[in-house]
Order: sequence, then structure tokens, then C-alpha cells
Amino acid sequence: MDQARFEHLLEAYGADYRRWPADERAAAAAFVGAEHVAIPMQQARSLDAALDGTRVNDADTSLLAARILAFAPKRQRPAIDRYATWALAACALFGIAIGYGGGMFAPLAGVDEAYFVMALESPFDARGEEG
Amino acid sequence: MIDPDADLVRKAGAGDARAAEALVHRHLPRMVGLARRMLGDAHEAEDVAQEVFLRVWREAPRWKPGAAKFGTWMHRVALNLCYDRLRHNRERPDAEAGLYVADGAPLASEAWLEQQRTAKVHAALAQLPDRQRAAIALVHFQDLSNIAAAEMLEVSVEALESLLARGRRALKTGLADVAQDLIGAADGASRV
Repeated sequence: MDQARFEHLLEAYGADYRRWPADERAAAAAFVGAEHVAIPMQQARSLDAALDGTRVNDADTSLLAARILAFAPKRQRPAIDRYATWALAACALFGIAIGYGGGMFAPLAGVDEAYFVMALESPFDARGEEG
Repeated sequence: MIDPDADLVRKAGAGDARAAEALVHRHLPRMVGLARRMLGDAHEAEDVAQEVFLRVWREAPRWKPGAAKFGTWMHRVALNLCYDRLRHNRERPDAEAGLYVADGAPLASEAWLEQQRTAKVHAALAQLPDRQRAAIALVHFQDLSNIAAAEMLEVSVEALESLLARGRRALKTGLADVAQDLIGAADGASRV
């Protein structure tokens, strides 16, 4: 590193070496305390201090954070949960339809007639007829 | 390239409230700080920070680690929003412009001087071209490395150094009228 490069870095990054390019800090250390860079060094330090004088404490961002988080993506319920209700409802409707449809098509009248005839017949009468 | 935010972004995008909170906790103060440096107005800075996060929530579910780190992308979004507002404010000058000019309320002399100095520095910063101010905001106030700052400004490190050097030179010139007082006071502060 030559003096011109040192002064350019000083002008760009200021007097605090922590802001300087990491790979040039060691080489820059050779210039520290050198008389010929004392004035630019002092000027850079003064400007740094002036800028630092405008630093403000971090504002309280808790209200802003809450406002922002209200818009954050929300976790969606797994698809299986979301569709479970609809699946149950569909199954119930299907069951009702099957039951109702089956009832409609069954030959209930004939069965009922035979049932009542059988039910009203006395078993004793039947035996007597046979005997 | 390892992105320290990648995992949080993925989880936040999937609706993990804790990850979203951690992401806000990590980046919100920096976003507000950067926007305040760029715009010189606390309310506008909060608006910008909020807008940045609304974009984060929109992008997070489909974010794929790529060329830029998530933090770099956020800084770029914030800077672009600031540039837009600065352009808009220049086109429509605000009656409240000159925010940092100290008022004339009676103060103890030292406090008054301090307020005057701060106002002068703020005014000098506000006079810089946007990109020079952004470079100084990123390197001096956000304490970012030259490589990270260059990436955020989408310029080479050499170009960043040029922006910084020109910005700082302009500040020195802009503060020349109060140099003795300002620099003398700053020297005193830096020696403490």
C-alpha cells in the first residue's frame, strides 16, 4: 500500500479502520502515526465524530413490529383437515341417498301383505287343517 | 454462500409466527435506521420499513436462495423505496421541508450549540446526492462491510469507494462554514 492508496481509503472509509476493507487493514497499520498522514487523518477523524454526533438511539419499534406481524403469512391447516368436513358431509349425504333410494325401489307392498297374512294366521289353525 | 436468514424466511413463508417475529426482530431496526438516514423523517422511515416487510411476506413463501442474500435483497428494496420517496418529495416540495433546522427555542448555550451542529450535519447529509448518502448510510451508520454495501448498491467495491470519497469530501465542504466549531467539538468528543 502506498500513501496515495492510504489517503484514498481514509477519504472513503474515515479514520476507523474497522470500516476499511479487511484485506487492507494490516497494510494500513504501517501508516499509523506517520507524520505525513497526520493532517488527513485528523480531518477524517473529525468528520467521523461529526457524523457520529447525529446518531440517535434506536427508536422503539415494538408498535411497528406488531403492525407488520399482523400481515405475516398465516399457517394454513393441512389439506386433510380442510377437506375432512366436506368429506364427512358428502358421506352422510351419500348414506341418506342410498337409504332413501333403496327404500323407494324395494317391493314393500307385497312383502307387507304376506307378512300380515302370516302374522294373523293362528299356528294352531294351521296345524288343525293339516291334521 | 450461506444465507443466515434462509431458514427463517422459509419458515415465515410457511406461516411460522415465531420465525416471522425473529425476522422482524433481526431486520426491522436496521430498515428503520437506513430509511431515517436516507429520508430524514421518522414517520416516512417507518412507512418504508413497513412496506419492505409487506414485500417480505409476499416473497417469503416463494423465496429461493439465489445470488443475493435475503438481507441484501431487503436493503435493496428499502433503498429503492427511499429513492422513490426522495424523487417524489423533490417533485412535490413539502411545506415541512428543512426538518433538521434547529428552532429558535431558548436553550442552555451548550445544548443549543449541540443542536445547531447536529442540524448542520443533517442538512449537509441531506444535500448529498442520493447514492452518496446511501453509501455513507450503509458503511458509516449501518456498519456494513464494503463488499456487502457494494452488493446492496449494485456497484463494484471501487465504485462504492468513489461514492464514499465524493460524499465525505462534499460533507467536509458543506460543513466548512462551521468547521472550526463543529470539528473542534467533534475532536473533543472523539478524544474522550
